[in-house]
Amino acid sequence: MSVLEIDGLRTFIKRRSGVVRAVDGVSFAVEPGETVGLVGESGCGKTMTGLSIMRLLPGGGFIADGSIRFGGTDLAALNESAMRKVRGNEIGIVFQDPMTSLNPTMTIGHQIAEVVREHRDVSKTEAMARAAEVLALVGMPRPAERLGYYPHQLSGGLRQRVMIGIALACDPKLLIADEPTTALDVTIQDQILTLLDDLKERLGMAILLITHDMGVIAGRTDRVLVMYAGKIVEKAGTGRLFGRTRHPYTAALLASIPRLDQPVTHRLYAIPGLPPDLSAPPPGCRFAPRCRFATEECAAGEPVLGGPDPDHPYACFHPIDPNSALPPAEVVDRHDRIESGADSDLLVLEHTVKEFPVTSGALMRRAVGTVKAVSDVTLTIRRGETLGLVGESGCGKTTIGRMIVALERPTSGRVMFEGQDLGSLSGARLRQVRKDLQLMFQDPYASLDPRMRVGSILREPLQIQGLGSAAEQRERVADLLREVGLSPRSTELYPHEFSGGQRQRIGLARALALSPKLIVADEPVSALDVSIRSQILNLMRRLQAAHGLTYVVISHDLSVIRYLADQVGVMYLGKLVEVGNSADIYDRPAHPYTHGLLNTIPVPDPEVERAKHGVAVVGELPSAMDPPSGCRFRTRCPLAQDICAAEEPVLRAFGAEHKAACHFPLQTPVASSEVLVQ
Amino acid sequence: MIGFIIRRIGQAIIVILGVTLIVFILRHLLPGSIARAILGIRATPFAIAAFNRQNGLNNPLPLQYVSFLNQLIHGNLGYSFKQNMTVDSIVSHDLPNDLVLVGVSLVLALLIAIPLGIVQAVRRNKLTDYTATGIAFVLYSMPAYLLGLLLIAFFAVNLRLLPAEAPQASTISGVLADPSGLVLPVATLTLVTVALFSRYMRSSAIDSLTQDYIRTARAKGLRQSAILYRHLLRNSLIPVATLVGISIPGILTFGLIIEQLFNFPGVGLAYFNAAVNGDYPVVFGITVLVAVATVLGNLIADVAYAVLDPRVRYD
Amino acid sequence: MTDISAQARPSATPEGGEAVRQDAGWRMILRAFVENRLALAGVILVVIVAAFCFIGPLFYHTNQVATNLLLVNEPPGAKHPLGTDNLGYDVLGRLMAGGQSSLEVGVSVALVATVIGVLYGVISGFFGGLADTVLMRFVDIMLAIPVVYLFIDLATEFKPTLLLLILVLALLSWLGPARLVRGETLSLRVREYVEAVRTMGGRSGRIIVRHLVPNTVGTIVVNATFQVADAISILAVLSYFGFSLPPPTATWGGMLENGVNFLYDGYWWEIYPAGLMIVLTVVAFNFIGDGLRDSLDVRLQRR
Repeated sequence: MSVLEIDGLRTFIKRRSGVVRAVDGVSFAVEPGETVGLVGESGCGKTMTGLSIMRLLPGGGFIADGSIRFGGTDLAALNESAMRKVRGNEIGIVFQDPMTSLNPTMTIGHQIAEVVREHRDVSKTEAMARAAEVLALVGMPRPAERLGYYPHQLSGGLRQRVMIGIALACDPKLLIADEPTTALDVTIQDQILTLLDDLKERLGMAILLITHDMGVIAGRTDRVLVMYAGKIVEKAGTGRLFGRTRHPYTAALLASIPRLDQPVTHRLYAIPGLPPDLSAPPPGCRFAPRCRFATEECAAGEPVLGGPDPDHPYACFHPIDPNSALPPAEVVDRHDRIESGADSDLLVLEHTVKEFPVTSGALMRRAVGTVKAVSDVTLTIRRGETLGLVGESGCGKTTIGRMIVALERPTSGRVMFEGQDLGSLSGARLRQVRKDLQLMFQDPYASLDPRMRVGSILREPLQIQGLGSAAEQRERVADLLREVGLSPRSTELYPHEFSGGQRQRIGLARALALSPKLIVADEPVSALDVSIRSQILNLMRRLQAAHGLTYVVISHDLSVIRYLADQVGVMYLGKLVEVGNSADIYDRPAHPYTHGLLNTIPVPDPEVERAKHGVAVVGELPSAMDPPSGCRFRTRCPLAQDICAAEEPVLRAFGAEHKAACHFPLQTPVASSEVLVQ
Repeated sequence: MIGFIIRRIGQAIIVILGVTLIVFILRHLLPGSIARAILGIRATPFAIAAFNRQNGLNNPLPLQYVSFLNQLIHGNLGYSFKQNMTVDSIVSHDLPNDLVLVGVSLVLALLIAIPLGIVQAVRRNKLTDYTATGIAFVLYSMPAYLLGLLLIAFFAVNLRLLPAEAPQASTISGVLADPSGLVLPVATLTLVTVALFSRYMRSSAIDSLTQDYIRTARAKGLRQSAILYRHLLRNSLIPVATLVGISIPGILTFGLIIEQLFNFPGVGLAYFNAAVNGDYPVVFGITVLVAVATVLGNLIADVAYAVLDPRVRYD
Repeated sequence: MTDISAQARPSATPEGGEAVRQDAGWRMILRAFVENRLALAGVILVVIVAAFCFIGPLFYHTNQVATNLLLVNEPPGAKHPLGTDNLGYDVLGRLMAGGQSSLEVGVSVALVATVIGVLYGVISGFFGGLADTVLMRFVDIMLAIPVVYLFIDLATEFKPTLLLLILVLALLSWLGPARLVRGETLSLRVREYVEAVRTMGGRSGRIIVRHLVPNTVGTIVVNATFQVADAISILAVLSYFGFSLPPPTATWGGMLENGVNFLYDGYWWEIYPAGLMIVLTVVAFNFIGDGLRDSLDVRLQRR
C-alpha cells in the first residue's frame, strides 16, 4: 500500500487582492522506500503541497478540495488534535533555512528531546538519550558533547543535520524535505543529500524531496513530479523523465540549465516571459503563453495528465516526440579574445591580501582577531576575456571582486588597472578610473534604491560623472534599456514594479551606463529562478560581444562559470588553489578541491549522477579567522599527509595557463624542476 | 560574555560622569550666585563670602568639579539649608517607600503585560486584540495624573472606598501597615506602566510568532500551549530586560507625578517640594541620584540580557 | 537526451518582458493607511480638535484674559455651556484657547526636534567610528536624566515664554529621533544600492541627501507624529505642575491643576473636559503614528 496518496488536492491562499490558487488539482502517490522528487520553480506550488500534507499552511491558507490519504486516514479531513499526533511522529519535515528554523534559545539536545517526549511516553533522561542517539545517526561529530550546544554555535551543515534529526526522532514513515540544501554550500549539500539517502535505507522511510534543482533530482530521486503554476505537468521515473522528456516545460527547463558536460559554444535556451499570476490563472494550458509549441487549442482548453504510458503521464496537447530528429543545436560565436600581448593585461592582482579586523565593543574597540578574507592572490585578467572566480562561502571571491572595483583597499599587495595602482589613486583621479570598473550586484532586490524611478537610477552614473546634457542622458538611458531587453517606458516605474529577472537587467544596464572596460558580476543569477537565469546569461554574453567587455564573474555555481568564463580561478578560504582555462579546470583539474567541487555539483543527467563515485569532500569549512596551517584545504582533503600541515604549497604550472597549489596534485606538473613563484 | 559586561560597565561609568558634569554646569547657571540662591535674598555679603570660601566656590571651575565628584563618590549629595538636613538623609528616609511603590508596580506590570502581549499576538486583529490595544492606547495617552485623578474621583470621592492620600508614616513599616492607602498609587503606576510595556510586548510577540522556529515547533506536533510557553515566552522574555531598562526614566517620571498627586512620601515628592521651594541642593542632589539610578537600571537590564540570551552568553 | 536550443519565438514585447504598472510606493502606503480604521479615526479627530481650537473662537467669543469674579464656579448652563472656573473664565472658551497653545507647542516641538535629531543621527550614523561613539555617548547621557526632572530643574530657574518652552522641550526631545535615525542610517549605509553609488564615483554628500534621507523619511514621519503626542502630553504634565506658561495663558494642564482643588466640591466641569481634550488629542496622534508605521511595513514587505 502506498505510504501517501494525494488525490485532487487544491490549496488556496486568501489574500487582500484575491484568492491565490497555489495548488490546483494535484494527485500523486509515494510508495514505501522510494524518494519522490517534486520539482518546479518558485511559485509553482511545490512548497504549498508539502505544507498541505503537514497541514502547516500559512495565514490565509486552506485546503479547498481533495484528499491526502496517509496510512488509511485522510489528513485533509482530520481535526487539529489528531493531526498533531501525526506531525513529527509519522511524518517529519525538514525546512530550508536551519538557522531560523531552530529556536535560538534552546539547546539542540532539548529541541530533539522535545519531539520525543511529545509522542512517546518516556522520561526526560530517556528522551535525552534518544536525542544523543539521533545526533549520532545524523552524523554529528561528538554527539553527546554537542547536546548542550545552541544552534548559533554550529555551522550551517551541522544545523541542518539537527533539523533532520528532529524530523526523524520518532521514526516517521515519510520525510518531507523542502529545499533542504538550498541554503548550504555545495560540498555540504552533497553530504546532506547522501545522509538522507543513507537514512532512508536504514530506517525504511519514504522521502518527498522538494527542490528547484534538476541536478539534485537527477541524482537522488526514483520518480519525479514536475510542477508548473500549481499543477503537475509531467510524472515519470527519473531516468525516463530526463531521457524521454515529453512536456515542453520540462524540456525547456532542462535546455536552459548550463551544464558541465555540454559544449560551451551552444547557446542556452531561454524561456521567454514570466510564470502566471495564480490569483487569476489563464484559461487553458498555463504554460501556453511561454511555450513555443502552443497553438490556439492550448489557450482554449486545459490539458489533463494522460498519455499512452500510464507510468509516464504528461499534461500537454503537443508533447515532444522522443523519436523525432533533434533540431541542430545553435552554435553561437564566442567573442574573440584578444591575443595576449604586453598591453592586453587589463587588470592584475599582485599578491593581494585583505584582512578584516574583528572588533567588538561599543566603547573600546579592541581587535579580537582578523578574518583573513584574501591571502596572497595573484591573478592576471586580459582585455576582452572573462575570468570566473569560483568557491564556497568564505573563500574570498566576493572580496576580490570588491577590491577590483575599489570598494575595498587591499591590506597589502596591489591592484593594477591598466598599469596604475588603484590603491594610489584618490579623489578626482579615482573617480575618473571608476568609469571603467563597474559592478553588477547579486541581489536584485537590494541593489536598486526603492525610492528612485528606474530612469533616475540609470541616469545617476551619468550625472555623477558629468557625461552629456540632460537630454543626452535621457536618450542614453532609453538606449541602455533597449539593449538589456526592457521597454524604454520602464523609466517611469519603480524597482518594486519589476520581477527579479527584470531588475537584474536594470542592474546590468546601470553597470553599462558608463561604458566600462571591466564589469564584475557578483553571483549574477543565483537569486533568480532557474528559467530566468538563462535569459540573463545569454544577455551577458551578447553584451560582451557587442561592447568588447571584460568580465569577472563570481559564483559558487561551476556550471554558470563554465558557460561564461575563459579563465577560471578556484578559491578556498582566501587562497587561490587552482587557475587555468576552461578545459584545464573542467577536464583535467589538478587540485583535489577542484575535483571535489566538480564531483559534488549535481548534474541534470541521471546516468552521470549514478556514475559518480569520486571521493566527496568531507568535513566542515574551517573558520576564516583561524585557517589551518600549511595547506588550508588539508582538513578536508582525502590525500592529505603530514607535509600538508607543515608546508604551504605554492602554485605550480600544469599547462600554459594552468596552475595549482598542492603537494599531491591529480595531474603531472610541467617542468617539475622549476617552482613557479608568482 | 564577560567582555560584554565589562564594556557595558565602562560605558555606564562614562555616562554617569557625563551626567554629573551636566548637573554641575546647571548648578552654576543659576541666576545670581549659588550662595545667594541658597542663603536667600537677605543674606549679607559677608555671609555670602564666608559661604563661598567654605564651599570652595572661589576655586577654578575644574577644581570645583573634581571636588564635586569627590563629594558624590563619598555619598554626599549636598546639604539642604532650608530643611537643615543632608540631602542623603532626606533621600534615605524616602527611598524605601519608593522602592515599595516602584517595585510592586513594576512586578505587577510585568505580570500583566507579558501574558497580555502574547494573548494579543495570538489573537491578532480579533476582538480581544482590538479591545486590549484600544484600552492600552487610551491609558498610554492619558497623562499619569489624569488617570490618578480619575481613580481618586471614582474610588475615593464617589465610592469612598479608598483614601485619596497615601500613608504618611515616617518609617517603611508604618507605610506598609496601612495598605489601603497604597492601593490607588500602586494601581495607577501599574496601569500606566502596563500601557507603556504592552505596546512593545505586543509587537515583540507578533514578531516572534512569525519566526520559522515556531513553524518547526508546530511541525513537531506540539500543542499550542506548549509552543507558547516553551518557545514563544522564552524568546519574548529576553527583550523584556532591555525594555525595563529603557522604561526606567519613564517609570521614575510617572512615580514623581503619582507621588505628588497622592502625597506619597517618596523621593519624587521631596524633589518636587524642593523645586517649588527653591531648595537647590536637594534638587541637584536628587537629579544626580535619579540619573545614576537610570544608568544603573539600564546596566542591570543589559547584563540580564547578556545572561539570558545564549547568543551573547556563548560568544 | 533531448536537446533543444532553438531560438525563442520572436515577439513584439521586449525580451525581458513588458513592465507592468502597479502602484507607486506612496499610493500603497496611502491605501494601507486609509484601510486602517483607527488611523483614519485619528486623522478625523485631529482635524476636529484643530478646528475646535482655532476656528471655534471665531464663532464663540469669550474673554480669556480678564477675570470675572462675579461669575466664579458656575455650573454649565445656557450662557456658559461648560460653566466657569474659579476665576470666572468660561470653560468652553478656555478649552479652545488651551488647545491652541497645546497644538502649537506640540507641532513646533516635533518639527524642531525632528530636524535636529535627523541631522545629528544621519551624521553620527553615516560617518561612524569615533564621531559616532562620542555623539551617541552624549545622547546616552542626556537620556539618562528623565525629562520631567530636568525640566522642573530648569523651570525653577527660568520663567518660560512660549518660545523658550518650545525650544527647551525640543532640546530634550531630539534625542529620540537622533537615535532612531542613526540606527536606520547605519543599516542603510551598507545596502547594495548605496555601494553602487560609490562604484560610480558618487560622493558622501550625494549618498546622504539622495539615498539615505529619502529612505528614512518613513521612520522619521512616524516618529514625528509620536513626538507631537508626547510633547502635548509633557506640556500637560508640566502645566499641571505649574511649570509652564504663566497666567492668564490657558493650558489644558493648567486647567486640570486648577480644577483638582475643587474635586471634592463636585465641580466636575472644571476638570474632566480638559482631561478629555488631552486624552483625545494624544490618542488621535498615537493612532495616526501607529497607522503610518503599519502601512510602511506593508510597503517594505511587498517585494
